[in-house]
Amino acid sequence: MQHEFKFAGDTVEVTVARDSQTWHLGDLECQIMADGRLKLTVNGVTKFAHSTKVGDVWWVHIDGHVFCIEKTEAGSNDDDSQGGMIAPMPGKIIDVLVEQGQSVTAGDLLLVMEAMKMEHRIVANVDGVIGVLKLKAGDQVQQGDVLVEISE
Amino acid sequence: MQTGNLDLVKYMVSTVLVANRGEIACRILRACSEAGLNSVAIYANNDKESMFVELATKSVELVGETIGETYLDQQQILDIAAKHGADAIHPGFGFLSERADFARAVLEAGITWIGPSPLAIEMMGDKMTARKTMKAAGVPVIPGEEIDFEDETKMIEAIVQASTRVGYPLLLKASSGGGGKGMRKVENPDNLVESIKGARREAIAAFGDGRVYIERMLTGSKHVEIQVLADTHGRVIHLGERECSVQRRHQKVFEESPCPVMTTDLREKMGKAAVMAAKAVNYEGAGTVEFLLDSTGEFFFLEMNTRIQVEHPVTEMVTGIDLVREQLRIAAGKPMSCGQLMMRGHAIEVRLYAEDASNNFLPAIGPLAVFRPPTGPGIRLDTGVREGDMVTPNYDPMLAKLIVWAPSRAEALQRMRRALDDFVVLGTTTNLRFLRELCDHEDVVSGATDTTMIERIWPNGWSPQFSSEILNAALMVAGVSESAGLHNVQATQSSADDGPPSPFQSLTRRYP
Repeated sequence: MQHEFKFAGDTVEVTVARDSQTWHLGDLECQIMADGRLKLTVNGVTKFAHSTKVGDVWWVHIDGHVFCIEKTEAGSNDDDSQGGMIAPMPGKIIDVLVEQGQSVTAGDLLLVMEAMKMEHRIVANVDGVIGVLKLKAGDQVQQGDVLVEISE
Repeated sequence: MQTGNLDLVKYMVSTVLVANRGEIACRILRACSEAGLNSVAIYANNDKESMFVELATKSVELVGETIGETYLDQQQILDIAAKHGADAIHPGFGFLSERADFARAVLEAGITWIGPSPLAIEMMGDKMTARKTMKAAGVPVIPGEEIDFEDETKMIEAIVQASTRVGYPLLLKASSGGGGKGMRKVENPDNLVESIKGARREAIAAFGDGRVYIERMLTGSKHVEIQVLADTHGRVIHLGERECSVQRRHQKVFEESPCPVMTTDLREKMGKAAVMAAKAVNYEGAGTVEFLLDSTGEFFFLEMNTRIQVEHPVTEMVTGIDLVREQLRIAAGKPMSCGQLMMRGHAIEVRLYAEDASNNFLPAIGPLAVFRPPTGPGIRLDTGVREGDMVTPNYDPMLAKLIVWAPSRAEALQRMRRALDDFVVLGTTTNLRFLRELCDHEDVVSGATDTTMIERIWPNGWSPQFSSEILNAALMVAGVSESAGLHNVQATQSSADDGPPSPFQSLTRRYP
């Protein structure tokens, strides 16, 4: 079976084949255990992985690492408006340091917001120009709100 | 109803109200149960499913929405204590634990306060007063100056003047501060005024008190604190040290006892200073005197925390003393049960936070879809959550404290690595991997830890290191899980109305 995933911004196609109780991907082999864990051999060492899906994201724990792997529909190209800066959690805007139309470079401080009584600095993730910016100091934002758009 | 421990009942403590939530509420409620005491838990509506609520003899819901209307509502808590026959209140840490006005109100209501006197809390809680008190008691303090202005303009003027005497880099600290709030590191004069404003703003928001003072930033020093215990029979002792140098955003993440560079001589000196500090404010109960220890072995008073501390388990593991149990004994008027100080082996605690260590340690939220702590000899987990709980932005993002004990430091580190590798948390981003990589860093391995090491090791932020083999295996696990339809958790956890929207919509975004 072929699946399209997104990991760390990259689209990855994963094709797994099943042969009785064993799944294959290249020379990797994997079995599903009775308790839902997955048993596989990496570099000759047996590992037991946990996985769970929340929303569209598979959370995978293997060998002390956690990976968040998003299931995407093959062919769809929902490029996440790469310059959108999203409120990481509900909070209050403390300071707005940029204006609409201003050019910024990645790493520039754009906004200061307060959440959980700590100040968080929102900095530009790309070089570009600030798009529509309606926020001002004192505004409350919800998690997932677009704080500022940057067009490249 | 439990029959109660006769020894404790005799001294008028039979029912303890725990004015806290989460992990520390669980810790205290269990200690009450073990001491044969009845307990009352109080909880806000958004905590009604939380673990601590299940651990009390009786649990009472607080009326109100915000933290101010619930866990910080002194009158409501006192009313509940009266109504449900609580004759003692344990404040835990955070919330009302260092509020002298609350301690006073508790005592005035005829209820035992499990902690030091309101006066001791006041003297240590105001950092500028504490500095002055310690100087008077002969305890060394960090070079710096108290600033006696509340007005912003005058404060800025006074700090700018003081800065030339104190020197750079320096630290601005809120006089009512704690937990890194209202604190700013200033590297050079260019950022001073902006930093003063930021510190003051944060201090006003967090504590309602914008007073800020100035201290020299002692770079490369260790954070070493001494646990003290004082009873009402005149005995004041110390229980050795904890080193908590490894901090991010001024919050501790990795704590251990003993301190790797401690000597018997230095422990005696620091212990003596800590006991002097406690005696200077007629301390009662469990407290912690924090010091900065520089590379020459000189140490300076930082502050005293007048409550049980987050990292108290490492002291418990190496001394064998149950600090919360001792708090209960002391509050009941009994002499402490500790004999001569005996430290055995090595203990390490790490704090598991719901946060994105690869993104400036930003707090994270989400479901604890899988939560499987490690087990085995020498492993202790203090937590207030279990699998299926939601991590919300309502409270502190600390999920658990993982503590290990082993005969030596090297073995304790090995045990911690194994425990962290075995700890499975899925559904919410945590700092587990960050902690795991920390355990491999040469400065942690050698014990050369200092308070600025995280910024030094990862000046541009941390990001996880993994091999392509592990990533490929993880992708295969996702592919097989998807094909087999494993563990399909509904995205909409149809729980509390204030439940946050799924955080996963933003997973691929970056907030550097």
